[in-house]
Amino acid sequence: MKMLRVARREYLERVRKKTFLIGTILGPVLMGAAILVPGLIFELSPEKQKSVAVIDSTGSIFKEFSEALSDTLESGTPLFKLRNVQFTQEDMDVTRRSLAMEVESDVIDGYIVIPKDIVEEGSATFYGKRVGDVKSLERIESALSTAVSARRLSGEGMDYGQIRRLLRNVELETIQLHKGEERKGEFLLVYFTTFIFIMMLYFTILFWGVAVMRSIVEEKNNRVIEVLLSSLRSFDLMGGKILGVGSVGLTQYAIWAAFALSLSFYGLSTGMLNQYVTFSWVTIVFFVVYYVLGFMFYSTIFASIGSVCNTDQEAQQLQVPVSMCLVFTLIIPMAILRSPDGSFATVVSMIPFFTPIVMFMRINILMPPIWQVALSIAILLGSIYISGMLAAKIFRIGILMYGKRPSLPEILKWLRRAKT
Amino acid sequence: MLEINNVTKQFDGVLAVNSLSLMIEPGCIYGLLGPNGAGKTTTIRMIMGIIEPDEGEIKVFDEPFSEKVRERIGYLPEERGLYRKMKVLDHLVFLAEIKGVPSKVASKRAVEWVRRLELAGWEDKSVESLSKGMQQKMQFISTVLHDPRLVILDEPFTGLDPLNTQLLKDIIVEMKKEGRTVVLSTHLMDQVEKLCERICLINKGSKVLEGKLADIKMEFSQNVIQLRFVGEREQLERHPGVQQVSDFGQELSITLEPDTDPNDVLSHAIRHGRVERFELGEMSLHDIFIAKVREGGGEVDDEDAQSRQA
Repeated sequence: MKMLRVARREYLERVRKKTFLIGTILGPVLMGAAILVPGLIFELSPEKQKSVAVIDSTGSIFKEFSEALSDTLESGTPLFKLRNVQFTQEDMDVTRRSLAMEVESDVIDGYIVIPKDIVEEGSATFYGKRVGDVKSLERIESALSTAVSARRLSGEGMDYGQIRRLLRNVELETIQLHKGEERKGEFLLVYFTTFIFIMMLYFTILFWGVAVMRSIVEEKNNRVIEVLLSSLRSFDLMGGKILGVGSVGLTQYAIWAAFALSLSFYGLSTGMLNQYVTFSWVTIVFFVVYYVLGFMFYSTIFASIGSVCNTDQEAQQLQVPVSMCLVFTLIIPMAILRSPDGSFATVVSMIPFFTPIVMFMRINILMPPIWQVALSIAILLGSIYISGMLAAKIFRIGILMYGKRPSLPEILKWLRRAKT
Repeated sequence: MLEINNVTKQFDGVLAVNSLSLMIEPGCIYGLLGPNGAGKTTTIRMIMGIIEPDEGEIKVFDEPFSEKVRERIGYLPEERGLYRKMKVLDHLVFLAEIKGVPSKVASKRAVEWVRRLELAGWEDKSVESLSKGMQQKMQFISTVLHDPRLVILDEPFTGLDPLNTQLLKDIIVEMKKEGRTVVLSTHLMDQVEKLCERICLINKGSKVLEGKLADIKMEFSQNVIQLRFVGEREQLERHPGVQQVSDFGQELSITLEPDTDPNDVLSHAIRHGRVERFELGEMSLHDIFIAKVREGGGEVDDEDAQSRQA
């Protein structure tokens, strides 16, 4: 009961703050920018025409190459503007230097050197400033391959027109099977949505967990703590804080959800939204479940850190290893994506530090067996109970300690001695 | 009302409270006195259940510790602290709520108390906009808002001006008249002399002296002289009947050996200087404390105690 009083105070004081309003508005904007902008750039960049110079040492393969590289922009203009550079073997160095200058001053995007023996050796070199444009480079590579293959085949005496027909590219269309239904082209979207949700989980668990920690340090510093502890059990105080702050996080989600819903009802950006985001109610339910559990687990740890520290700086230092566990879950998604039901993904999703994000990700990408989901929730609940009990003990003793921060052995000594 | 039996508490091998026993009767004002670092705050924290004693037991209202018991105690900690951003009235109501008072009752009482302590008009202001003294008064309100039968005040007068000190003293006396028990803990022993019926002097975690203030005063009254004296202080100390001379600047307080005739000392003083005022008087609590500690062969090291606290 008293825990609820603490929770209510914590909740109201936070929700009434201006910073909450600002954070609620800015949060999605910033997160959206962080996620959408690279995606948009990636999506939009091939839209620009690429101009590429070609030094064709064979003197003859340019034609086939430029025919193979026939991609066009949406407007119908060719995607690649190729220039066959005239050169002599003597002034090769000069030619290349002047091409390098052109690259440097963005006149061209790059140049390709096709060696004389490309048909035999099968290698050429691309020089450019932006070698990260994987899509374009892949296109160039496959066009060169086509040209070289054509040359090899015509060496075997085949007709050029015949060769072109034979060497036509195959396009691979991807369709995800979901409960026996075909979902055409949606899987990229699923990954993208999952990633957005993961980022949200990461940010909110970390942000609100640290908020619990900081508010405890603050109460220690302004000495409210002693008044509180003369009325409350330390367990009620800690629990109330976690409940209150966690509810603030949920409120923020609710606001965001309402906002997103009204947007899609409005029809204003449904098209735009559906292009990037796709989710079901299952996603939402598990999102909330793993936010609540993840937050509770991490915030008990953050709470005990806060209770043994005297300043924000001290607490910030101590919380780094804990935050690293969360960051770790952001590093491994590629591994999980590659094999969402593999043993690595399965094991990692059962470790309470990683469960909230990794299990949520697995559920989104490829629904794991239901017993695994249930087990992960059970493990998480058990861990919350244990970390909660430990935190309450550390909290109880640490909270009234001022001055020197206790060392780890000292904390372990408390844990053995203290009753909750 | 409050019973402390052989309670001991150690911190990192330092004895903060050493098998202390106290018995506080209902309806009195009880002074828990001693220098800084004597163990007063630790004792109170154990009464409040904030920390647990290593040994011994504490009973309040003849019951062992429980949440319900705690709801009937009001506690003003030495380390004052409030949420700075909260509104005054909201804050008071919150602190009463966690003592188990329904919020409606709490807010009604809070309004009355705010008026009584001359804080009216500040109810909707944030705590940080209050002056230090006002925050002190607000903290005091939070101590009594849940209508406690036992009120424990740790250094209640620090930071208050004389007017507010008097206001608080009046309220303390009134609470006693209402049948409440008040425990005053302070290192400024002389400040609460007139308030307390019973006192306990503690030093280094152990009880030095306990009893009715009147009895203690009686016991120590005969052998103290208040003297305003122009002359050499050393000459006074040389008199065989003088045990100790405390210099208060304007006046000297002279403690005599037992069975010394104060008139002997007076004539000795007149021979060595000019006596402007002579009074046979009570010993101050502070002097009694020092005398008792010396008697027990102990050292009085206020300074050491103070630095440990800091």
